[in-house]
Amino acid sequence: MTLGWADFAPLAIDLALVAAILIVLIGDLAGGPRAGRGIGYLCGILLLGLFAGSFFLDLSGPSMGGTYVGDAWSTFFKRLFLAAGALAIFGSADHVARHTPTRQSEYHLLILFSVLGMSLLPGARDLLLLVVAFELMGLPLFVLAAWAKTDDPRGVGRHAPEAALKLYLVGAASTAITLFGLSLIVGLSGTTNIDAWIRTAPSPLWFAGGFLVLAGMGFKIGAVPFHFWVPDTYQGSSTPFVAFLSVAPKLAGFAALIAIIHRGLGAGLLHRPTLVTLAVASILLGNLLAVAQTDVKRLLAFSGIGHIGFMLLAFLPGTTESIQMLLFYGGAYVVTNIGAFLIVEQVEDAAGGSSIDDFAGLVYRSPSLATAMLLFLLSLAGIPFVVGFWAKLYVFLAAWEAGLQWIVVLGAIVSVVGLFYYLQIARAMFMRKPAAEAPPLGSSLGMTFAISLCLAAVVVLGAFPAPLLGEAEAAAKAFVAKPTGAR
Amino acid sequence: MIVLPPLVWALLALFCPLLAAIFIGLFARYSGRFSSWLSLAAVLTSLGAAITLLRAQLARPERFLEETVRWLPQGGETLAELGIRLDGTSITMLVVVTAVATLVQVFSLEYMQEESSHAFGRYFGYHSLFVFSMNLLVLAPNLLQLFLGWELVGLTSYLLIGFYWRKPSAARAAVKAFWMTKLADMGLVLGLVVLFTHSGGFSWTATLTPEVATWVSGLLFLAVMGKSAQFPLHVWLPDAMEGPTPVSALLHAATMVAAGVYLIVRTFPLFEQAPDTLTVMTYLGAFTALFAAVIAVVQTDIKKVLAYSTCSQLGYMIAALGAGSVMAGYFHLTTHACFKALLFLGAGAVIHAVHSNELSKMGGLSRSMKLTTVTFVIGALALAGVPGLAGFFSKDLILETLYEKRLWVPLGLLLAAAGLTAFYMGRVVLLAFFGEPRSRAAEHAHDGDAAMSAPLIALAVATVGVGYAASRFAALIGASYAFHVGPVGVLGTALGLGGLALAYMVYGSGAVRLESFALLAPVGRLARSGGVDRAWQYGFRRIALGIAAAVGFIDRYVIDGFMNFLGWGTIVLARRLRRLQTGNVSDYVLAVVVGTIALVAWGLYG
Repeated sequence: MTLGWADFAPLAIDLALVAAILIVLIGDLAGGPRAGRGIGYLCGILLLGLFAGSFFLDLSGPSMGGTYVGDAWSTFFKRLFLAAGALAIFGSADHVARHTPTRQSEYHLLILFSVLGMSLLPGARDLLLLVVAFELMGLPLFVLAAWAKTDDPRGVGRHAPEAALKLYLVGAASTAITLFGLSLIVGLSGTTNIDAWIRTAPSPLWFAGGFLVLAGMGFKIGAVPFHFWVPDTYQGSSTPFVAFLSVAPKLAGFAALIAIIHRGLGAGLLHRPTLVTLAVASILLGNLLAVAQTDVKRLLAFSGIGHIGFMLLAFLPGTTESIQMLLFYGGAYVVTNIGAFLIVEQVEDAAGGSSIDDFAGLVYRSPSLATAMLLFLLSLAGIPFVVGFWAKLYVFLAAWEAGLQWIVVLGAIVSVVGLFYYLQIARAMFMRKPAAEAPPLGSSLGMTFAISLCLAAVVVLGAFPAPLLGEAEAAAKAFVAKPTGAR
Repeated sequence: MIVLPPLVWALLALFCPLLAAIFIGLFARYSGRFSSWLSLAAVLTSLGAAITLLRAQLARPERFLEETVRWLPQGGETLAELGIRLDGTSITMLVVVTAVATLVQVFSLEYMQEESSHAFGRYFGYHSLFVFSMNLLVLAPNLLQLFLGWELVGLTSYLLIGFYWRKPSAARAAVKAFWMTKLADMGLVLGLVVLFTHSGGFSWTATLTPEVATWVSGLLFLAVMGKSAQFPLHVWLPDAMEGPTPVSALLHAATMVAAGVYLIVRTFPLFEQAPDTLTVMTYLGAFTALFAAVIAVVQTDIKKVLAYSTCSQLGYMIAALGAGSVMAGYFHLTTHACFKALLFLGAGAVIHAVHSNELSKMGGLSRSMKLTTVTFVIGALALAGVPGLAGFFSKDLILETLYEKRLWVPLGLLLAAAGLTAFYMGRVVLLAFFGEPRSRAAEHAHDGDAAMSAPLIALAVATVGVGYAASRFAALIGASYAFHVGPVGVLGTALGLGGLALAYMVYGSGAVRLESFALLAPVGRLARSGGVDRAWQYGFRRIALGIAAAVGFIDRYVIDGFMNFLGWGTIVLARRLRRLQTGNVSDYVLAVVVGTIALVAWGLYG
């Protein structure tokens, strides 16, 4: 196998990201620690630049002898991850600069590493590359989860070590399960080439491999019953990081799942009632438990489990349309959830906690933040005409087409429950008075920028969802167009 | 001359006002002066773009351009599109809207100057939003986008009628307008649904079966009746005069209320397939024309006279369209926009000087307000149908159309309305501008400054000139026009002049006393009684509120009870389930292991 320039073209963005990481790394080593938010903004601009660049470069074609294949599918995910990374870094810059001024570049580098892993993942056609990319994404997250650790027993980050440890321990078990399942699959097929698996005759062990992968990935996406780490880790970790953790790795998990199960093993292969149960359990448990929460971060964590359940509904049928809707949901979820968590961060930073009471009278302290939060919450609840409405509608349509009518009805009812707890936050923000000593809230430049981008996306895509839908459609078609599936 | 593709001009015309509205809404609200300049710059850009498009269209009248983007894709298909349609019909309306909007905004600079900076900015923000909404409606390539614009202009109408929201009557009028038009808009929504289910799209060129066409056009016409204030849905328009007078000129005379007529013009291919609907339109329009003209005669508020006159003139347009002549109806829309905007702005100038809407507080203003008097009289004569002015040509065309189609009853109604129109306009002119001043304010009145005078002059020039553009107008919309003197035209003109003469004898020289005609007393009482208004109120109180009470009862005790039970159950369940989350990481790992085993076992053997 010889490497030519053509091998690098599909990887242009990833290589640029590697170069950027090296520059930041070396620059930091040479220049020493620096106060100020400059390093964060620099990393954010880098990711944003790469995001913009992805629209001008032709990233399609096979690379490294077909180990990696660039197409609309991988490009769509790449953009999602770059956008999520950029938004999270812009939102984190202020937090990191104030709490850990001497270790800033480490934080941002870890995020960049994680984004690099995600960015490589969707195009991987070889299991080894996929697993390595997956671990490159996951390992920095353990470190970042512990980032806020502090010795102050009343500090915001007092639960950070616990958060990180729970993530790590559950994650280690899950990774073991995933790899066990993959080893079964590779053993039976005799190849790590995902596209070649289709030639293997199915056997119980083969299905067992598929279900083990599903169970292991269930941890990453936070589906019931592998979800227990989610609320604890969200609550303990620093909020701008949670904004990242709550969206990007989950979508990467879906990318890996779709690659392994739909593409590798063949769509519709796994026992359907089992998968449906997984989705329904996530929807029900996530939404029900969110009702009982008094802490906004935990509330968003449980509601996030519910959202994963909705995405699983679209994951299930594995048709072009359903995958398209899953991708659209993913895009909508990125902008909405990151925006919501970044606002939580500012309230938490000022109040020292993130309970619903801390949101009381937010409109008096910052009308713009309260309004933005309201729109994010409406989008999460799926109210027209913000982007979350279309996301939910399209997922329901996909599930309906796939013959899951009763789940759609159930999902619609559960959405009302969702409205209840989301609007509790809204009620606190708009209809209660702020605590007497609560000062007006101001945002840093990066934070304002990130929230404005999220808000613009939520509103514009809410009024006009066609562009994102079109992108998602192209991606889903590129995915299905490959010679797989028909078994 | 900058050469840009027509699409770019159209987009400029559409989005500049939107940007201005957003910017004013977000940032400039507290600097009223700046907001007004921003709004004016946007509407001027729109006007410039519209005129450029019109010039290009005049050179090649048959050209049309339609650009759309997918709005709501569904699977591989497209549920709905948004876009821009440029042709003679849409460009003409675009010019009318942006031109009147520009003049009205200029007029408002002076008229509204006593408002606080905040209110001043808000006012211009609404105006920008209105121009955007109206252009969205005018440029729509399909009925769905037209509906979006339709609802948005309804919203801005509500906001502007209720501009003096501290005044209870203004707030009530705004709510009433919203209610009545919303009620009618249900027709548009249902019409869209029927159209979509039978044709699979929102296009007005769809071919329908006669029955479906009647349903669709009938439902659309219901919405038109609301928006264009046709009997019996006209009651909101006189109340809408609570808004600032320039708003009345722009929204409630020249453009927004004409949106209903524009809807019919635009979707005429649908209406043509439904002869029954057209017949209803002819009779209802003609009846409204006469009915509103009768009421206009007894009004004492100058704006109310003009408001009923607007109902009446819209009736003419609807009747003409019902008779099948797009040219007559649409041309009357255009000329009416000029002279009615002129009349309202003239009334605004008078109100600004006298600080009252009541004709009884005016009188003798021709001595002190020369410019206003001259321009107002031009507008009044145009409305009365005096030959040579814009209103004459378009009204003549309408009467000719009905005459050719031998629709004798509507023709008779419209002829009677023509006489009355001249009479009530003569009355307003004589009471307001001639005779002796009847209040101190009227004695000391004076013309406005440049910002108020310039729009009056511009509109007066248009009122004189636009009638002679009839054949060019016809070419733009693909019709033909040739002026000729027919018997019905002569009769209509004679009635108009007769009405003016009678008005002079009653209110000018005093040669005739109306009280001497005993027959007129009951008509006058009836016209003053506001019977339709009371019928609506009665219907609303007895029927709508009655149903609402019943529904409210079910909602409160049955549905709410059930929902409360569900909510309570959910919370209890959530509290129980919460115990699952023990906080122990060993439990979490156990859950992963058990979950995995269960998943594999069920997956394999289930």
